[in-house]
Amino acid sequence: MKRDIENHVTGISKFVDDFPTLDGTLEAYLFYSEKAHAEILNIDYASALKSEGVADILTANDIPGENQIGGIIKDEMLFAEHEVEFIGEPIALVIADTKENAKKASNKIVVEYKDLPVVTDPREAYEKGLLIRPPQIFSGGDVDSAWSGCDVVVEGKVDSGGQEHLYLETQASYAVPTDSGLKIYSSTQSPTVVQRTISNVLNIPMHRIEVDVLRLGGGFGGKEDQATIWAVLSALAAYKLNRPVKLVLSRMDDLKITGKRHPYSSDYKIGLSKDGKILAYEVTFYQNAGAFADLSTAILERTLFHAANCYAIPNVKATGISCKTNLPPNTAFRGFGGPQGMFVIEAALHKAADVMGIDVDILQQKNLIADNDVYFYGQKVENAQAVNSWQTADEKFNLDKLKKEVRNFNEQNERFKKGFAVMPISFGISFTNSFLNQASALVHVYTDGSVGVSTAAVEMGQGVNEKIIEVCSRTFSISKNRIKIETTNTTRIANTSPTAASTGADLNGNAAKIACDNILERLKIIAAQELNAKDSEKLSIENEQVYLEGQETDLGWDELIQAAYLSRTNLSSHAYYATPDIYFDRDKNIGSPFAYHVYGTSFITVTVDCLLGIYKFDSVKIVHDFGKSLHRLIDLGQAEGALAQGIGWMTMEELVQSANGELKSNTLSTYKIPDIYSVPDEVIIEFLENSENRFGPFNSKAIGEPPFMYGIGVYFAILNAMKSFDPNLELFYNAPITPEKVLLALYPEVKV
Amino acid sequence: MGRNSKSKGLSRRQFITRAGTGAVGSYVLFPALGKAETKNLSDNDPQQKYLLGDNPLSLSVNGKNIKTKVRGNTTLVELLRDHLNLTGTKVACNNGECGSCSVLLDGKVVYSCHMLALDAQGKSVTTVEGLMDGNKLSVVQQAFIEKDGLQCGFCTPGQVMAATALLSKNPHPTKDEVKEGMSGNFCRCGAYPKIIDSVLTAAEKLNS
Ligand code: FES
Ligand code: FES
Repeated sequence: MKRDIENHVTGISKFVDDFPTLDGTLEAYLFYSEKAHAEILNIDYASALKSEGVADILTANDIPGENQIGGIIKDEMLFAEHEVEFIGEPIALVIADTKENAKKASNKIVVEYKDLPVVTDPREAYEKGLLIRPPQIFSGGDVDSAWSGCDVVVEGKVDSGGQEHLYLETQASYAVPTDSGLKIYSSTQSPTVVQRTISNVLNIPMHRIEVDVLRLGGGFGGKEDQATIWAVLSALAAYKLNRPVKLVLSRMDDLKITGKRHPYSSDYKIGLSKDGKILAYEVTFYQNAGAFADLSTAILERTLFHAANCYAIPNVKATGISCKTNLPPNTAFRGFGGPQGMFVIEAALHKAADVMGIDVDILQQKNLIADNDVYFYGQKVENAQAVNSWQTADEKFNLDKLKKEVRNFNEQNERFKKGFAVMPISFGISFTNSFLNQASALVHVYTDGSVGVSTAAVEMGQGVNEKIIEVCSRTFSISKNRIKIETTNTTRIANTSPTAASTGADLNGNAAKIACDNILERLKIIAAQELNAKDSEKLSIENEQVYLEGQETDLGWDELIQAAYLSRTNLSSHAYYATPDIYFDRDKNIGSPFAYHVYGTSFITVTVDCLLGIYKFDSVKIVHDFGKSLHRLIDLGQAEGALAQGIGWMTMEELVQSANGELKSNTLSTYKIPDIYSVPDEVIIEFLENSENRFGPFNSKAIGEPPFMYGIGVYFAILNAMKSFDPNLELFYNAPITPEKVLLALYPEVKV
Repeated sequence: MGRNSKSKGLSRRQFITRAGTGAVGSYVLFPALGKAETKNLSDNDPQQKYLLGDNPLSLSVNGKNIKTKVRGNTTLVELLRDHLNLTGTKVACNNGECGSCSVLLDGKVVYSCHMLALDAQGKSVTTVEGLMDGNKLSVVQQAFIEKDGLQCGFCTPGQVMAATALLSKNPHPTKDEVKEGMSGNFCRCGAYPKIIDSVLTAAEKLNS
C-alpha cells in the first residue's frame, strides 16, 4: 500500500482543486460586500447577467430552505439581503463557464450602499452593547474576599492579536449532482456540519447529501466552521443548475473574507502572598468575535477554562465577553481560545514578578498544579504532569545554568541582549461541548487479508491516518501495508464530529480499535476451530501468525481470513466510542469537561538586537507529555509545527485593518508567517517518560494544539531581553511583539 | 530569495501590463487589477491577439516534447495544471510569494505562477511528476519520506523541487545553505526542522 507521504512527494496526492472535473462543470465566484457595515439600498445584476459565459447569479431569493448557516447561534445568513456587516459578507454567487468569466461578471454587479457606523474594537463594541451573547463567568473560590489577604496585588491590560490560518490550500469545494441528491468534495474538518447545513439551506434531508473528504492542505481550525459556506454555495449552485460546480478561493479572497484567530483585549488583577503563592486572580476577556457568532462562544469558553493555565489558584473569577464587531467572523485556530487565556495569566505573573523583584520562573514553579488540586472550574486534577515535566526539563536542560548564561552574555554585550523565559503548559483535551466527544469507525477485512478503515477523522497533515493505521496494525498485529484509510465520507460514517480540539486520533483511534477488536474476537473463534483448540481466549495473533498458548502455529493471517470467510463470519465491524466520565454544567459553569490534560515545559532563549529591534530565537528546549506516543516522528513534527505557529502568533504575524474594517495585510508579503529562518537555532523536544493515559489509544495523548502554547514564552523572552537593555522599560503585553514594537518601546523618545 | 524567475524574456513590468490589459486571467495574477478598466482593443490589435489568441508554444515537460497553443497571459502553472493536467504543482498564493508552485526551468528553480508559459518557449521544465526514475523515487523524495519532511503535503512538491535544484547546484550544503536555498518556500504546517533534515539527508545520500 502506497502511503500518503509517498503520494505527497511524487505529486500524486490530490486536493480538491486537483480533482479531474466532470464535463459540464461550472465555476462559481462569490460576490461579496466591500463595506464593513452598510445598508444595501439597491443591487443591479443586469449587466452582470449578460456578461460572457454566465450561467446564473444566485441570491437569497434562490434558497429553497433557510437562508442561514449559523452553527451554535443562528445569526449568520448565507446571503445578505438588506444589511452587510463585514467586508467579504456574501451577497450573491456568480456561476459561469470559467472562473475568469465568473469573476468578470461579478465585477459588473453594482450595489448602492448606505454607510453605517463601523466598529472593529471589542471594547468599543462592549461599550455600545454589541455582544454575541451575554457575558459568561467561571469562578472558583471567592475572589472578592481574597484580595485583602494578598501581600501583592497587580493589575493591568493585555492584548493579543488575531492570526490568519494561511492553510496553503485555500478554501475549496466541488459539488456534483447525483441521481438522488448531491455529492460534495469539500476541504472541510467537519463533514457532517457541511452536510447538515446544506440540508438546511436546500431543504432536503441529510441522507441525500454525501460529503467526501480526501485530505486537507492544512486546516488549523480554519476549516472547522468556515469551510462550510463554500460547500453550501457550490451545493446550492449545483442543485439549482443541475451541473457540477466548483468553487475555489483565490488567496487574496481567502485572506479577505475568512475569519481568523480571535484578537482579545483583557484586564487582569492578580494577588499573591509574600512567598509567591497566587491567592487570587480575576480576569475579563473582551473577545473580538467579528460580525457573527461562528464558534466564538465555544472558543471563549475554552479561554475561560485555560485562564489559569497550569497553576493552582484558590480564588479565580474569569469573565468572557464575546463582542460583535464589523470584521469577518473570527473562528477556530489551533488552541481554540486557550492560548489567548494563557497569555494573560503569564503576563500577569510576569508583571507580578517584576513588581516583587524576583524571577518569574520562581512564581511559575511555585504554583504548578498537582494531583488532588482542583482546576478552578471544578475538575479534579488527576495524573498531573506539570511538576514532573518542569523537573524533568530542569534535570535535562539545567534551568539555572541557562539563566546564568543569559546573564553573563548580557553583562558582556551592550547592543545584543539575550532573554530567557519558561513556558509551562496545561491544555485540556475533549470538546468542551461534551456531546461532540463521540466517533465511529467502520473496518472491513477483505478476503485477501487487506483491511479498509473508515472513520470520522479528517487528515489535514496532523498524521491521524498514520496513527489509525498504527492502532489497527497493533490491534490485529498485521503489517501496516495491509491497511488502507478511506476518505472521510458521510455515507460510510454518519454524524461525524469535527476533526478538531486535538481529539481526532483519540476519538477515532479508539473507535477503530473497538472495531478491530470485534473482528479479532470473531477471528479467534475461527482460529480455535481450525486449530481444534477449546478456548479461543488462549489464542493470539502476533506478526500475522496465530499463537496458541504462546506457541506459534502454522495458521497465518491470510488462511485465517479465508477460513473465516468460508465459514460465514462477519469480517466487518462498525464500532462506536464516546469519551467516558466527562460533563459540564452550563448553569453553574462547574464540571469535569476534559478527559485529561496535556502538560509540558519549555525553556526559551532569544537574542534581541537592541539597536535594530530585530531578534532571533536561539533555542527552545521542551519536555512534553506525549503520553505513550503512537508515532514519535509524527508527534515531533506536530510539536515543531505548533511551536512555529505559536512563535508566529506572538512575534511576526500581524493583522492590520484600517478603521473602515479593511484588511491591509492581505498578501504573504504584508502578512508575515514563519519561514525557514524562523525556526529556532536549536529545538530540542524530549518525551516525558512514564505518562499514562487511559483515554488515548495505547495510552497516547493528543498532540495537535498543546505545543502551540510554548510559543507564548517567546514573547516574555523578548521582553526580558529588552528589559536587560533598558531596566526602566515599561513592560507591555501587546502581542505580536514585532520588531517595530520592540524598537519603539526601546526608544520611546523617538517620535514616528 | 535568490530566485531567477523574473529575467525570462519579459520584465515584470511588461508582464503586469500584459496581464492587466487583458483582464482575462488577470484576476488570478493580480486580483486588484481585475477591476481595472479594460482598454477596448480591436480583434486585430496585435497586443490583443497575443493575449487572447493562440500563440504557438513548444517546450519540454518532464522530458516530453510538447507543442501547444496558449494565450499570451497564460502562466506556466496554468499551462501545467490546466492544460497538461500536471496537478502535482500546487498554487497557494498565485502571487510569487510562497514557493508552492516551484518547478525547474532548465534546471533552475522558478515560481511557475509568476512567469508566463510563453517564456518557457524552447526550454525544459521539470515538475514533481518528473522526478522519479521509472518507479524509483529520487533521492530527495526518499529523504523527505524518511525524515518525515512534511505534514499536509501541500507545500511538498515545491519543497522537493527547491531541494532538488539546491542540491544540483550545491551538493554539499551546510545547514545555513540549506536554509538559504529553501527560504523561498513557505510551509504553514511548520515542518521546517524536518525539511532541513530531509535536505541534509538527501545530500548525504547523494554524496555516498
Ligand atoms: S503559488 Fe506561486 S509562489 Fe505561491
Ligand atoms: S506540509 Fe503543510 S504546508 Fe508544508
